[in-house]
Amino acid sequence: MRMNILLHELRAYRKSTIIWTISLIMVAALFMSFYPSFTKDTEEFRKLLEGYPAALREAFGINLDNFFSILGFYCYGLSFVTLCGAIQAMNLGTGIISKEVREKTADFLLTKPVTRAAILTNKLLAAFISIIVTNIFYITAAILLAYQVATENFDVGIFLLLSLTVLFIQLIFLGLGIIVSVIFQKIKSVLTVSLATVFAFYFLGMFSSTSGDEAKRYLSPFKYFDTAYIMEHSNYETPFLITSALFIILAIGISYFIYGKKDIHTV
Amino acid sequence: MNVIEIKNLTKMYGASRGISDISFTVEEGEIFGFIGPNGAGKSTTIRTLLSLIYPTSGSATIFGKDIVQFAPEIKKEIGYLPSEVFYYDNMKVKDLLNYSASFYKKDCRKRIKELANIMDLDLNKKIDDLSLGNKKKVGIVQGLLHEPKLIILDEPTSGLDPLMQQKFFELLEEENRKGATILFSSHILTEVQRLCNRVAIIKEGRIVAVEKISTLKENTYKKFKVETKSALDPHYFNLAGVNKLEVKDTHTSFLFKGNINEVMRKIADVEITNLWIEEPDLEEIFMHYYEKEA
Repeated sequence: MRMNILLHELRAYRKSTIIWTISLIMVAALFMSFYPSFTKDTEEFRKLLEGYPAALREAFGINLDNFFSILGFYCYGLSFVTLCGAIQAMNLGTGIISKEVREKTADFLLTKPVTRAAILTNKLLAAFISIIVTNIFYITAAILLAYQVATENFDVGIFLLLSLTVLFIQLIFLGLGIIVSVIFQKIKSVLTVSLATVFAFYFLGMFSSTSGDEAKRYLSPFKYFDTAYIMEHSNYETPFLITSALFIILAIGISYFIYGKKDIHTV
Repeated sequence: MNVIEIKNLTKMYGASRGISDISFTVEEGEIFGFIGPNGAGKSTTIRTLLSLIYPTSGSATIFGKDIVQFAPEIKKEIGYLPSEVFYYDNMKVKDLLNYSASFYKKDCRKRIKELANIMDLDLNKKIDDLSLGNKKKVGIVQGLLHEPKLIILDEPTSGLDPLMQQKFFELLEEENRKGATILFSSHILTEVQRLCNRVAIIKEGRIVAVEKISTLKENTYKKFKVETKSALDPHYFNLAGVNKLEVKDTHTSFLFKGNINEVMRKIADVEITNLWIEEPDLEEIFMHYYEKEA
């Protein structure tokens, strides 16, 4: 580990980590603030939602059985938190290498007495820490918010399991971002690339859940963690957990391989 | 001892040429010039030496160690200044230099201050706010702060005013006296002439010559320009060793290589009003190499 690179990267991520953390908390807070009014008119909302086609409800992840419990309601908001989190992670991943190329600092870093693997390791570690910090603050805030608005007791364990899906999906998109970053080093706008990729997967996930085909869930990371399943079993679905882990390991492995061999051109 | 040894180094970019079959050595304590026009392959060679890019074939060693296999180890003793410097914008000069220093296992604080003084660089400014010339100075300090044994410079003078350039050259000469070997790439011949002991001339990805600067100059001609009172017979200076003879009324000019006394005698025999004898500059020698090859 090279502390100097790690610290430098962390410093560079400081501002964006704070902004993203606040954004995630705001999204959750916004949803939670609706909860009291939802619970007041439960029956009317239920009728309204029942009037929508089932496919549409599926696409938006609305499950009528638990929609009106605090956990069920949280799940609905969570899908938007996850979306934001995925963008944050994809940004971090995509920026890992392309930032050096875009700011033309690659020459500076790569002519220092460090291996490319060490550079990548420390940059990855910094991105990982940034995501972990975001999640610690987010989950703490989310639990506090839930206690504020909850009208009945809820299982904090399940709440935690649900919230941790943000972290898992972030790690998947971090991995995806790194691969994109090492393959296409000259990315002009990280945000464009990451928004496009994240939304593509988000919509892919929406369509795959309307068809009800189990296998299609593998296509979009957004469908790897079914909140209804988690609430029912207090656990994750093992095949998807394994798929996530494999994808992350593979993505990182491939990135090391490509980055170690890649020519660094002048810009 | 050879600090740099390049053997049949080739780098292709897909099917297009980068450099092909380059071989030369740089000895310890030398200031070695690497000259050629833009796009000839200077940067490609240097970037390969620094393992920013990897060779297609051939090999090279620095301090006797393979450039690919021992890249991180070699770089402990290399200072590199690229032609265009770009650094993390939101940092102060001092923070960037400390970051740079943090990669070397020695205390560089004193040297940073010394170098900043010599180059007249304000350490407390943000890199964002610096002019091109001042950014270049940051690059120079960054490249020298760990007192490297090998200094690699890729077109280092662009953006420096003549005064700073002078200081920079003095700094390099001082480093050289202290034992540093320098590889200096440039397309500006006067600076190579001013600084270097030997040069390699590169053209279209190939080395055309590796010569001592002194030999380069010895083996060449002198430029004569004679102004006479009355127009001369166009064939008057037509003797062995004379080239590019041009006669225009009372002005005669030619290049000469050979025994200079013969020409002087011929000149003494006519009534002249003015006379110029000039050493060709490196540029002309250089063009000579290029034309010969073409």
